Parts: sequence; C-alpha cells; structure tokens
Amino acid sequence: MAEPALALVQSSPSPARAQIAFDNVALTLGGKAIIDTISLEVAAGEILCVVGASGCGKTTALRLAAGLYQPTGGSVRFEGEPMRAPRREIAVVFQDYGKALLPWRTAAGNISLALETIGMRAHQREARAAELLAKVGLAGHAAKYPTEMSGGMQQRLQIARCLAQDPKVLLMDEPFGALDAMTRQGLQDEMLALVASTGATVVFVTHDLEEAIYLGDRVVGLLPHPGRVGLELTIDLPRPRDQLATREQPEFLRLRRALFDFIKASE
Amino acid sequence: MKWSVLGWRLASFAVAAGLITLWQFAADQRLISPVFLPGPDRAWASLMRGFTSGDLLTKLAGTLTHMAYGWLLASIVGVALGAMIGSSKTMRAYVAPTLELLRPLPVSAIIPVAIAALGLSQGMALAVIAFGSLWPMLLGTIHGFAAVEPRLYEVARVLHMSRLAVIFKIALPSAAPDILAGMRLSLTVALILAVVCEMLAGLDGLGQWVLLSARSFRSADLFAGVMLLGVIGYVTALAMDAAESRLLRWQAARR
Repeated sequence: MAEPALALVQSSPSPARAQIAFDNVALTLGGKAIIDTISLEVAAGEILCVVGASGCGKTTALRLAAGLYQPTGGSVRFEGEPMRAPRREIAVVFQDYGKALLPWRTAAGNISLALETIGMRAHQREARAAELLAKVGLAGHAAKYPTEMSGGMQQRLQIARCLAQDPKVLLMDEPFGALDAMTRQGLQDEMLALVASTGATVVFVTHDLEEAIYLGDRVVGLLPHPGRVGLELTIDLPRPRDQLATREQPEFLRLRRALFDFIKASE
Repeated sequence: MKWSVLGWRLASFAVAAGLITLWQFAADQRLISPVFLPGPDRAWASLMRGFTSGDLLTKLAGTLTHMAYGWLLASIVGVALGAMIGSSKTMRAYVAPTLELLRPLPVSAIIPVAIAALGLSQGMALAVIAFGSLWPMLLGTIHGFAAVEPRLYEVARVLHMSRLAVIFKIALPSAAPDILAGMRLSLTVALILAVVCEMLAGLDGLGQWVLLSARSFRSADLFAGVMLLGVIGYVTALAMDAAESRLLRWQAARR
C-alpha cells in the first residue's frame, strides 16, 4: 500500500475544552489491530465528520466513542471522565434504522422506549413523544408501525428517539447512507437545523465526502489497516448552509478536491 | 373482495353439509351396521341427552381441565427455560444436542414410565401432558430468543435499559411470534395427550367416555364424544388465532 504524501495532523490535547477526547486510542480485536493510536478531540457543539476508505475503522471509532467498545490501548474520555460504558448523554443513530427500531412498537412507542428508561410518567411520555415526532416532521404518524413508514421516515424516527434521550452528543453512523439522494439532502438540512436548535455535539461518520464537507465544522480523514488519522480539515463555510449555494462555493470545491485526493491516495 | 370471502364461506359450509348428508344416507341405508355407525341424527340426540343429564358436561370439563393444566405448566416451564437457553450461546451449545435427542421421542412411549412412577393419577396425566406439549414451546422460545436482532441489544445498552427491561421490552416481544407458534402446536399435543391419558388411566374425561362407549357398543355416545373433541380442538385454535392477531398486530402491518 502506497503511503500517501500527506502531513499527518494530530490535534494537540487540550482536555479543558474537549467534550470527547481520544487519547492514543488503540483497538485490537482477535489479534488484529483495527485502530492504531488515534488522538482526537471534539469540542462541545462541534460537528465533526469522519470519512475514510472502507476498513479504516470509522464505524469502530464511533462505537468506541459510544462506549460500546472499550479500547485496548489509550483512553476515550467524555468531559474528562473515562468512558467505561454507554452513557445516556450520548445518543447513537445507527445506519440500519430497520434493525434499530422495535417493529412491534408504533412510532410513538419507539420514542417512548427512550422516555421509559429515564423514568418519565406515562401521561408525560405521550405528549413528549408527540412533540418529538413533530420536531422531525412525523406529526400525525404516531400510531404507525415502522414497517408502514418509508426509509427516510424510519431514520427520522430513530433520530427522534435519540433526541428523547436529551443527548449532549449525537453519534451518527452513516445515517443517510441507505437513502436516496433527494431524501438524503432533505435530512441533512433537517439534521443541521435540529442540531443548531439543541446545541448538541455531533460526530458524523459517512463515506460521502461531499456530505462530510456540507455538514461539518471539521472533517477528519482516517487511513486504513490499521485505522489512524491521516487528514484534518477545518471547514470554513458560512452557516446556514445551502444545498446549492454552499456546494458551488470555490472553498467547497477546494475542500472536495483535497478530500478526494486523500481518499484516493489512501486506497 | 367481500363477496368472494362470502362465496368461499358458503362453499365450505356446503361441503360440510354434503358430508353430513352423505353420512346420514350411509347410516339410513345401513351400508355400515348401526352398531358401528350411528346416523348424525342419533349422534346429535346422544349429545343433547349427554348435556341435559350432565354426564357429558363433566367429561368435557375433565378433558378441558387436563388439557389446560398441562398446557399452562408447559407454557410456563417452556418459555422460562427457552428464554434462558435461547439468550445464551454457551447454554445453547451445551443443551441443544440433548434437546434434539428428546424432541422426536413419541410421548406416548413415556406414558408407561410415567404410570410406573406416578400411578394412574391426575399427577401422571399432568406430567405426561406437560412433557409432551413442552417441546414445541421450548424450541420455539429458544429460537425466538436466539434470533433477537443484536442491534436492538445495542440500542438497549445505549439507552441504559435494565436487564429486566431488556427481557420484557426487547427479547420477549421479539420472540413472541415464535413462542405463540409453539403454543399453538402445543395446544393440539395437549388435547391428544389428555385423551390418551384418560383412556389409559381411566381418568374422568372425554377420552374415557369415548373408550367406554366403544367397548359397550354405544356408537351414538361414541360419536357424540368424538364430535365434542373436534369442537374443543376447533374452539381452542380459534381462541389462539384471536390471541395471536391481537398480540402480533404489528406483523399485520408488515404484510
């Protein structure tokens, strides 16, 4: 594998301001190094997009951030504390919405699942679920089962369930990867609006480079075998972003070029 | 759409009516000796007589009780054991071969063993019926619990759900279709074994009624008992249908 001629950028640790911090994180599964030392920080309220060729461990990195995996080296910290297990403040949006939703519960019931675990009373749950459904544009679909909804609607529902946790951090694993282009663009804008209103931190894994630039404040590119940070780009595009105007800006095109070159070199 | 449903209903009734007419005809023409084959009229009269005298009602209650106790015991044990085995990969590896060995065993073959151990008692009937109807439920539950979408367990972890909540809100509803399918099969098994136990152990019930009627050549009574057993099978299956479509409403949405 040709080593790309790129300056390896590693963010210098400054734990005071970082909400999520990867400190020399390594993960070995079954004798195979999946991730070999990633150091990375995510500031509160930031939208960090993670891209990389397949096998670069981007999904694994997200699962480490969620506390679903424990690192075999280094440490993952949330607000300065080591992550030993998943935390309620950190919500995860899985790519396969069809598997992550409970098919035997209605839309309202699926949101209620998150509300039940925080001990909310039944009469409050109903109102809160309706409120969250309205927030993601699913008002009037409360009584529908997931299988009666389109893919885009199901993913919206999963996002609403995550919002029910009142999360400080949203970890999103290629959430729009399985959706068609139009639905995807619509959801990108809806997500940006939601995040802007809640102020949540977002770590967004995607294989769509344009999506990463369009959404992110920062884009991190990972190198494969084993996964490590190869590129870090600060996205200086004005917000709110616009599907047409933003994507036509010279800066957008420059970043797009840089990211494409990086991925190509890393493969 | 509705008319075609109605049409099929009418057709199925016509078939049943035709068969009963044929039966009546065969009995009237004495194609088979009335000692062995009563007409539907005589069978019906015997059924009514049995109900008014209360004899048949006691037998019916006996069979229903045997069936219900055995089936319920099997349900509780089957679902609890199945949940334990199904949710653990190690348990499955250890226990599965034994289960595969026991499953195809004809339960009627263990009745003598049960009689030797427990005598000709209600306890024996309970043990045999429960043992026989355990298998479909146990295997259904094991399969259901083993097939829970792993992603849902991750969702549960992220949401900080308690172990109990995970069992009752994730695993059990996910396994419900398999469990209910097992319960449906068990219901038939329970009815068969209730009748067999009553015949062999002389316990109060329709099995005993049918056997004694046959031995004393009371063919009308025999047929009345058989008809009643058919009705039990049919009605319990209908009740199971109703329970299933209520509990599995979400699956109707999927189709």
